[in-house]
Amino acid sequence: MATLELIGLTKRFGNFTAVDNMNLKAADGEMIALLGGSGCGKTTTLRMIAGFAEPTEGSILVDGADVAKIPPYKRNIGIFFQNYALFPHMTVFENVAFGLKLQKLKKPEIAQRVAEILALVKLTGLDKRYPRELSGGQQQRVALARALVTRPHILLLDEPLSNLDAKLRIEMQVEIKRIQKELGITTIIVTHDHEEAVSLADRVIVMHEGKIQQIGSPNEIFERPCSAFVADFMGFSTFIQGTIGPQEGEKRPVSCSGKLLYVPSAAAEGIEAGSPVTLAVRSENIQLVAEEGENTLPGTISAVTYKGTTTRLEVTGCVAETVCPAVNEYTQRQLGETVLVHIPAQRICVYKNV
Amino acid sequence: MREKRVNIFCTIVAILVMLFLIAPLVVIVIASFTPTAVVVFPPKGFSLKWYENIFSSSTHFMEGLANSLKIGLLATALDILLGVTAALSVCRHDFKGKNVLLNYFTSPMYVPSVAFAFVLLQVYSQIGGIPGAVRIFIGHFIIILPYIVRNTVSVLHVFNWTLEDAATSLGANPVQVFFKITIPVAKPGILAGALLAFLYSFDEVALSSLLSTPKFITLPIRIMNYMELTFDPTLAAISTFLIAGSLVLILLMDKFVGLDMFVK
Repeated sequence: MATLELIGLTKRFGNFTAVDNMNLKAADGEMIALLGGSGCGKTTTLRMIAGFAEPTEGSILVDGADVAKIPPYKRNIGIFFQNYALFPHMTVFENVAFGLKLQKLKKPEIAQRVAEILALVKLTGLDKRYPRELSGGQQQRVALARALVTRPHILLLDEPLSNLDAKLRIEMQVEIKRIQKELGITTIIVTHDHEEAVSLADRVIVMHEGKIQQIGSPNEIFERPCSAFVADFMGFSTFIQGTIGPQEGEKRPVSCSGKLLYVPSAAAEGIEAGSPVTLAVRSENIQLVAEEGENTLPGTISAVTYKGTTTRLEVTGCVAETVCPAVNEYTQRQLGETVLVHIPAQRICVYKNV
Repeated sequence: MREKRVNIFCTIVAILVMLFLIAPLVVIVIASFTPTAVVVFPPKGFSLKWYENIFSSSTHFMEGLANSLKIGLLATALDILLGVTAALSVCRHDFKGKNVLLNYFTSPMYVPSVAFAFVLLQVYSQIGGIPGAVRIFIGHFIIILPYIVRNTVSVLHVFNWTLEDAATSLGANPVQVFFKITIPVAKPGILAGALLAFLYSFDEVALSSLLSTPKFITLPIRIMNYMELTFDPTLAAISTFLIAGSLVLILLMDKFVGLDMFVK
């Protein structure tokens, strides 16, 4: 239960800058996701907070106090490791009790706290098992219990759900969020999965090449990425190049390989007329319509991918780029079929090309 | 069908190989109970007199056994300290010449022990006055080191180093991490290496025969000397003893750490 502040945090390995001047303030009890691809510096940031790596520059404050001089074993930070890192030679009970024994607590108290935390992660009765005798989901709960039982100031989660199958993943997402809110513990979660980040965190930080690209609420990051890069990372599927025109009422026209698409003026604020821009849209926001209107483009279906609840199409011929709508209709779409694609203006994100 | 035939063939070959390995041992064990003055198989009658002879013989087998145990246990114990430290330093860090260093630690395995003994003998005679126990101890200490290094390295290669980070984050200082996590997890490899090292030292002949002095003779050398003069069933009896001893050691090992360490 503490605040966490990173000030100008930088880590260099020789000429390579893994984390570049990172600033962040996490409020007490907040859950923040560090989101980025591999090598973006998110894990290095985590290791510096934990004390396993020393910052090249900058400082880490916990509750306002610099922790640079505190060795990792005195920082009281709970860590959940991607590969769980359960001690193979210890039972579930011994794994969870490990930190408490080091705190020299009395046996009855250790037993009670272990029992409490195992109940919280729904593992009661498995305390005599060894890690190898547990399923992946159970091992994960043990790892979470072990990280939480010492009542750390801060909880760090490193790719907590990456090793789980889809069903377990959703279950654990709910569990982690429930436990985190129940204990009110300040949490940093590192992940490369944008869905995991937006579903778990109060705030999401998108990182790339050691730099923060965007900080915002899950909704902001998901709906209004600040750059084409972040949009791509957040799962936007259709990117269209064009040249933006001057304001016409609430809207601005964008000429895309000869066709006109309208975008809201608000989405293109500060971009001069005549600038080359990239338009980004999510698949779910592109529809197939029957009648022509604003922002409708005719095209031909060139690929159909059935995804269960939705069917993802690739439509060519609308503009130079392929447009990828995701539809959830009962009618089967055929390859080569001519369709009318509608891209709602309100759903388009506009980025000036650099 | 063809697969089945191959299977039968493999089974037969495997059984033959196993028989080939175990038959001489069985013969020796059975023959050790013969009352006759030479080893015969099958034995004519039953007697324990050759076992008695182990203790009463002028060849002092028991003293040799004690010497062998002393050298073997001490060398193994000290090599565990040295070998585990060496293995840890090589496995934990990534540095240039890492493999060279590892090969250096295991090199005594590849040097012919007679050549090595000759070198040691030269050094000892230059210095002079080194007691027999020390002469043999130093030799064994060096040649059994590779077994401990190699077996420890084999566990550390697959060691999940984040376990150490996990323990640290839970409040364990580096010393506690070492004794509560690293060593216990590496224990099967260390013990497997220690067992092999001890057994190697225990029946080592080439080095010991060149380095021993009349005052300090290990069991294998005692047996060798005895064999040169007499070839009675005492040797069969003592062999049976040693086979039984090794068997017990290996069973203990299996019970406490599992034998799968040896097949890695």
